[in-house]
Amino acid sequence: MAELSFTLNGQAQSLTVDSGTPLLWVLREHLAMTGTKFGCGMGLCGACTVHLDGNPIRSCSYPAEFVSGRHITTIEGLAAKDDTLHPVQQAWLEMNVPQCGYCQSGQIMSAVALLATNQSPNDADIDAAMSGNICRCGTYPRIRKAIHRAAELSVQYYQPVTNAEAES
Amino acid sequence: MSLTSNLSRRNFIKSTALLGGGLAIGFNLSGCSKTPPYPNMNPTSLQTNAFLQVTAEGEVILQLHKSEMGQGVYTGLTTLAAEELKMSPALITVQHAEFHPDFRDPEFYVMITGGSSSIRLSYDTVREAAATLAAILKSAAAQQLNVAESSISLRDGKLVHAGGEIAFADVIATARSVPVPELVTLTSPQDFQYIGHFNGRLDALAKVTGSSQFGIDVQYPKAMTAVLIRSPHLGGKAKSFDAIAALAKSGVRSVLDVDGAIAVVADTYWQARQAASAVTVEWDKGPLANVSSESLRTERYDLLDSESGKNVEEVGEVGAATGDTIEEIYDVPYLAHATMEPMNAVAVVGPESIEVWTGNQSPDIALSAIADATGYKREQVRIHNQMLGGGFGRRILSDYLVEAARVAQLSGYPIKLVWSREDDMQNDFYRPNSTVRMSATIDGNNVTSLQSKVVAPSIMGQFVGAVSNTLMPEWVPNGLHNTLAGLAASSDPAATEGLISSEYQFPYKRTDYVMQETTIPIGYWRSVGHSQNAFFLESFVDELARRTEQDPLQFRLSHLPADSKQRRVLEEVAKRASWGSPEPGQFQGIAVHESFKSMVAQVVSISVEGTKIKVHKVVCVVECGLAVNPDIVVAQMEGGVIFALTAALKGEITVVDGAVQQSNFHNYEMLRLNETPEIEVHIIESAEPPTGVGEPGVPPLAPALANAVFAATGQRLRQLPLRLA
Repeated sequence: MAELSFTLNGQAQSLTVDSGTPLLWVLREHLAMTGTKFGCGMGLCGACTVHLDGNPIRSCSYPAEFVSGRHITTIEGLAAKDDTLHPVQQAWLEMNVPQCGYCQSGQIMSAVALLATNQSPNDADIDAAMSGNICRCGTYPRIRKAIHRAAELSVQYYQPVTNAEAES
Repeated sequence: MSLTSNLSRRNFIKSTALLGGGLAIGFNLSGCSKTPPYPNMNPTSLQTNAFLQVTAEGEVILQLHKSEMGQGVYTGLTTLAAEELKMSPALITVQHAEFHPDFRDPEFYVMITGGSSSIRLSYDTVREAAATLAAILKSAAAQQLNVAESSISLRDGKLVHAGGEIAFADVIATARSVPVPELVTLTSPQDFQYIGHFNGRLDALAKVTGSSQFGIDVQYPKAMTAVLIRSPHLGGKAKSFDAIAALAKSGVRSVLDVDGAIAVVADTYWQARQAASAVTVEWDKGPLANVSSESLRTERYDLLDSESGKNVEEVGEVGAATGDTIEEIYDVPYLAHATMEPMNAVAVVGPESIEVWTGNQSPDIALSAIADATGYKREQVRIHNQMLGGGFGRRILSDYLVEAARVAQLSGYPIKLVWSREDDMQNDFYRPNSTVRMSATIDGNNVTSLQSKVVAPSIMGQFVGAVSNTLMPEWVPNGLHNTLAGLAASSDPAATEGLISSEYQFPYKRTDYVMQETTIPIGYWRSVGHSQNAFFLESFVDELARRTEQDPLQFRLSHLPADSKQRRVLEEVAKRASWGSPEPGQFQGIAVHESFKSMVAQVVSISVEGTKIKVHKVVCVVECGLAVNPDIVVAQMEGGVIFALTAALKGEITVVDGAVQQSNFHNYEMLRLNETPEIEVHIIESAEPPTGVGEPGVPPLAPALANAVFAATGQRLRQLPLRLA
């Protein structure tokens, strides 16, 4: 058995699971956080992507005991506490990205990680960051557009308000 | 002009029965309509029919009688209802419908989502249901205000009159006694506010925040997770098993034989999966031992010569087929659906009832299948549908629901059955392999005949035997079901659809079909027979154009009727894609194909480096009648192109000794974002009723791509996936 203590979307979690249990199943079964999806179990499709201290990992192949003491962010933790969507989620809505939607949690987590390190990715950057996430419905063209759109939104989102704007 | 819909003529039956306080109306779609209660009926709601209710608080709830698997019915059907209620689709609450006879499809006679038919076949039904509700609400408001009904209108979910507005909730009491109108007037297309204009996606917010509930996300208190160890040989069964080591593992509750597979029941998925690897099983390889996809291909080639088959189409006189004969053999492999959400179901079996939570395309068929397998009565089974993490035809089958119900029944636990990706890849109902001999006669420079002979297994032959209990009364004996399956197989429309009934005009046309008896399990795969037959026909038409030294577009146009949809979409795609003027270093291919009553033409632009095909751009033109949600139509075309690119460039399921060789996404690869071309979609404007969009984007892609490969290399690739020598 493995004792786990980690931070999940800003909240402390402590639980005991079988040694070797992948993080995905701890999230989905022990914690009933089902936004993170099971797709392949081998890290091939990206449906299970979450952030470990801000970096994207494939939770289906990541033993949960390795996350002890660290911060996990899942799709449920992206929006602000007042439900304001993350710019990537907002862009996903504007571009009507989801079809069946099953892979989109993983797609969004990969895109958020990309934009965290590269605020204006070009198509080649997007290709490199997103080719580990499979979408069977074929939403890739919209994912590409939505990442560009999220980059615009992020700039607006994070830009400090100038005096002129504040006065108007 | 306004469209008046005569409900009586449509077998619309009227009932003034007050049930649960609701005003009840039913549609008699298939001659077997039952009275209420309707699924998800709220006793305090005003419920005018199986589709729509208004709650006491004034919330409008639509029962989604089609399964949302990405194709957009959640938004599309709501848009239809919204139009007649004059309120934004975003204001309507949507619930997954449980089975009810009124939700049966007027063409398939079961409650099913398939054949790209949801919007087409619901276009009148859902609008009429909403118009009826609208009429009753207006009539009730008029009665309460003592004004003429014509002075009441609907706006933004409220009833508007000269003196102000009334909420729906405030007229429900009066509405219960309003007689159901004999006639309802549907909104004229030129007055549409939402149909043709609404471009949001109502299910998107939940899907970008992780809150959308798929079958695999269903939580049932104290449910155990089960995994099944199936024979690696399709159709094989366990002879014996040893579970001593597995039962000693953490969390394991039970290991048992369930209809020839071994179920491992544990507290969690991971525990069940770990324990499954500790079970040893001795397998009977079953009926497909020694069968391989290679031996089946050889058999099909032999059958092309040895069997004459059944004539499916003959147009013109054989004597017109003058000149030299050319013939070529084309061939396609088995394909898996590979939905992103692996198969799963939650099943709870009680002494008198079975409840199942899952995402499925055909709850009507599944109810019968579960009843048959468990010995329960069909009326004792309930299915609660969820969002589907992809369907593509895979979830028309009931196998995974039946498995969950049987594990629950035999183990005594509430069960959540979860398949692994390997289970999914190796236990699919595959797109059939198929071989065709395409032939033509050419006299001088004129093509005088176009002929095809198909050898393929029959989806119908497998499917009808399995579903006929649903379609026919219980007293029909099993033997007759099998006979019907045999009849269906000998003229399986799926085997030749898309090869026959084409608009191409040649003096003589003929198609024959030879059924291949031996096959692994096969099923309906996005665009079904069109997925291979468009490749056969549109590649061979390209060959004929080259043989007669004509431009492939001009050749097609000169053999199509003047006013045909084919010509319209071909001319449009040629213009949009600058046909004949590719980018430097690129080569173009073109194809057109009608399926599910919609016409799609595509131009694919590629370059070739060594043996690597790079797809740069796909221009797609679709004529699908009125586009209810235009952006969803565009998305379906984009998705169809990408689905077809995966099949054309990568897809192949192979079988050795009855066992599928591929297991996961490393050896059954999907197109990825970095390989995705630019896709441009144009919808031909039309006021005709809507036709299919979920599947028609798939068929033309493979031939357009293969034709581009020929343009680039001079190599004519007649097998999928496309592999350059």
